[in-house]
Amino acid sequence: MARTLFSTNHKAIGLNYLWLALFSVFLGLAMSLLMRIHLVWPGIRFPFLSGSTLERYAALTTFHGSLMVFPVLTAAPQAGFGNYFLPLQIGAREISFPKLNRLSFWATAASLLGLTIAFLVAPEAGITIWIASVAVFSVASLSNGINFSVTTLDLRARGMTLSRLPLTVWAWFINAILSTLIFSILLAASVCLLSDRLLSTHFFPLNFLAGQPASFVANFLPVLWQRLFWFFAQAEVYIAMLPCFGLTTHLISTFSRKPVWMERLVVLALCGVGVFGFCVWGQHMFVSGMNPFSPLVFSLLASSLGLPAAILLISWLGTLWNARLQLNTSMLFAIGFISLFMAGGVSGIFLARHDLAAAAVSDEFITGHFHLVMGVAATFAILGALFFWFPKLFGRRLNESLGKLHFWLTFGGVYLVFMPMHWLGLLTHANLYSGSGIAAIAAIVAPVRAFITVAAILLVIAQGIFLVNFLWSLFRGQQVEERNPWRATTLEWNVSSPPPADDFGAIDPVVYRGAYEFSVPGVAEDFVPQHLAPEQVVKAR
Amino acid sequence: MPGTTSVPEIELIVEDIGGGGGGKPPAGGDDGDGAGDGDKRRRKQSPSPKRYSTAIAIALVSILMFFMALASAFIVLRRGSDVWVTVHLPPILLANTVILLVSSFTLETARRRLTFPDPSGFRKLWLLTTGLGILFVAGQLIAWRQLVAQGVYIASNQASSFFYIFTGAHALHLLGGVGALLYVSFRKSDQKNISLSTAAEIASYYWHFMDGLWIFLLALLYLGK
Repeated sequence: MARTLFSTNHKAIGLNYLWLALFSVFLGLAMSLLMRIHLVWPGIRFPFLSGSTLERYAALTTFHGSLMVFPVLTAAPQAGFGNYFLPLQIGAREISFPKLNRLSFWATAASLLGLTIAFLVAPEAGITIWIASVAVFSVASLSNGINFSVTTLDLRARGMTLSRLPLTVWAWFINAILSTLIFSILLAASVCLLSDRLLSTHFFPLNFLAGQPASFVANFLPVLWQRLFWFFAQAEVYIAMLPCFGLTTHLISTFSRKPVWMERLVVLALCGVGVFGFCVWGQHMFVSGMNPFSPLVFSLLASSLGLPAAILLISWLGTLWNARLQLNTSMLFAIGFISLFMAGGVSGIFLARHDLAAAAVSDEFITGHFHLVMGVAATFAILGALFFWFPKLFGRRLNESLGKLHFWLTFGGVYLVFMPMHWLGLLTHANLYSGSGIAAIAAIVAPVRAFITVAAILLVIAQGIFLVNFLWSLFRGQQVEERNPWRATTLEWNVSSPPPADDFGAIDPVVYRGAYEFSVPGVAEDFVPQHLAPEQVVKAR
Repeated sequence: MPGTTSVPEIELIVEDIGGGGGGKPPAGGDDGDGAGDGDKRRRKQSPSPKRYSTAIAIALVSILMFFMALASAFIVLRRGSDVWVTVHLPPILLANTVILLVSSFTLETARRRLTFPDPSGFRKLWLLTTGLGILFVAGQLIAWRQLVAQGVYIASNQASSFFYIFTGAHALHLLGGVGALLYVSFRKSDQKNISLSTAAEIASYYWHFMDGLWIFLLALLYLGK
């Protein structure tokens, strides 16, 4: 146990991140249930939510959001799967700086501990601890980003050119570059905020407002925080999504038995998402009082994100077209990702319009949007990857029947929970504008909120199926005899399951082709692994 | 932990012209083999020292973003304030700047001695550089004390907050650089993963960057007055 916890091996560290994420996601789900129950049935009292209800509810929301955004969405697909499989997929034996990697993991774990303590203590101390935890997480992400970037650039196996990189690796690499740039901003903002709280400085001072001119107060101080925060946070959602794009593309190709359609354009689209992520922070500040021409610019930029998203969508659909689909659980989750990404993404185009967003929706619309596109879609990609790589990680298979049951219940459940939120957002806003009283609005929205809460409770219960499947399969799952049960092409499928300590044994792998050589004409098999020398490829008769 | 696999420094990564369909791996490499069994039976390689250069380049960009965030906050608040209280910068800051510039010069001279080779000359100049770096940090602490003596604390006003944060963050990063210089000075000569000249080169990138960053921060503080 100690060897695994304190190991510098990239596979052990990757698994540690995944365990951390598993713990965090169930804790975060529990917090979300508490929020929904309190929203709909405020009379129900929970022991640790007593006291000042407003503050405890705010703490609950913060804790839920922090858990889901940081250890789950930021760490799991990137640091979790990335740590385990990036070196394997590029033919490296280890990450470039193993001790730094171990430090990154333990900083992430410390950050999670801090976030939890922040929720449990009084607000004043809790807020300070929360900011410090976020700063620590930023340092962990920065180090992880440097490690992944250097590994991808300098530790590729012979023959692994950039054009032969799997799209998962491209996504992890672009994400790593983005992380090293963006988390510095969050770190700087956190340092200023902590300094204000602990050293009484005046970066974002509320008490300093007295004596300042009204224009200064209105325009600069809150907007400064918003600018710093959203410059980080908008790119952060792409940090959460980029690995999921890579994972989904990889799974779609593997289980369609077809190459990725427009593979090079997909790489450009991933780069485009990364670049655009820097340019659209203002889409969260339409009503902040900034320069009146700014919303137009940010609207155009935010809407332009539809272009790389469209390229990705066309690639996925083009890969699926006329394919011999293998509809196992992993593929179902990948296709489910496409559905959820589109559903949430379309409402994003609507929100990118500053005139429409301000005039037509309230917060619940936005909650529905980002949960669909960032929360559940990303979770589907993570689950798809877990079903795909479980045999490699543990040498056993997850149960497919339970997996498919879990998928359909979750897929239906998330739509039942989050789509009505869009409707509620439109409804609430329209009624407020028409002058309806609070009681009248409450009479309309209360049943819908209750429906959402009941659906959420059932949805969370359905995740128990996954938990049972996962834990049972860890110890009693069907053992995988072959190295490559999915007949996939990338390098990790050429080693034993689980891989040996030094990944590839005595011989370094050599790469001869791209990562998506499926259904190659003239070849007997419907896939050609990357490591197979040309003379070893069996021709079709 | 076994060593990592790496692309040898002298090997060109040739793009796959044929779309990746069953092509041979790039020719060349450390053993001069072409495609075939010789390539497949490639033994474990030691890690490439190129990764340190790549790492420091990316880390410097990251550090730059951190300071740019602080600088942009400074510019936004300075421009928007009608009641900005100026901090009179202690003159010792100029002396500290000269010390830091001299340390960059001694560092480069030390690296040139290594190419002669003149290890003892290198060591002397390298330690001198380290000493100058420590002297710079000490000078910054004196500047802080002078400001405190004038009644200007970190919480006095926004200008003083930025001054202390800028100089404090820079000094902390410079101390990291001092640590790197000490590591290069006292590393064991039998360390195979990175040569002395490479370690010195990477440390020099970081040191010169800290130099340039300090010039930028000082200019910002002066212009902000």
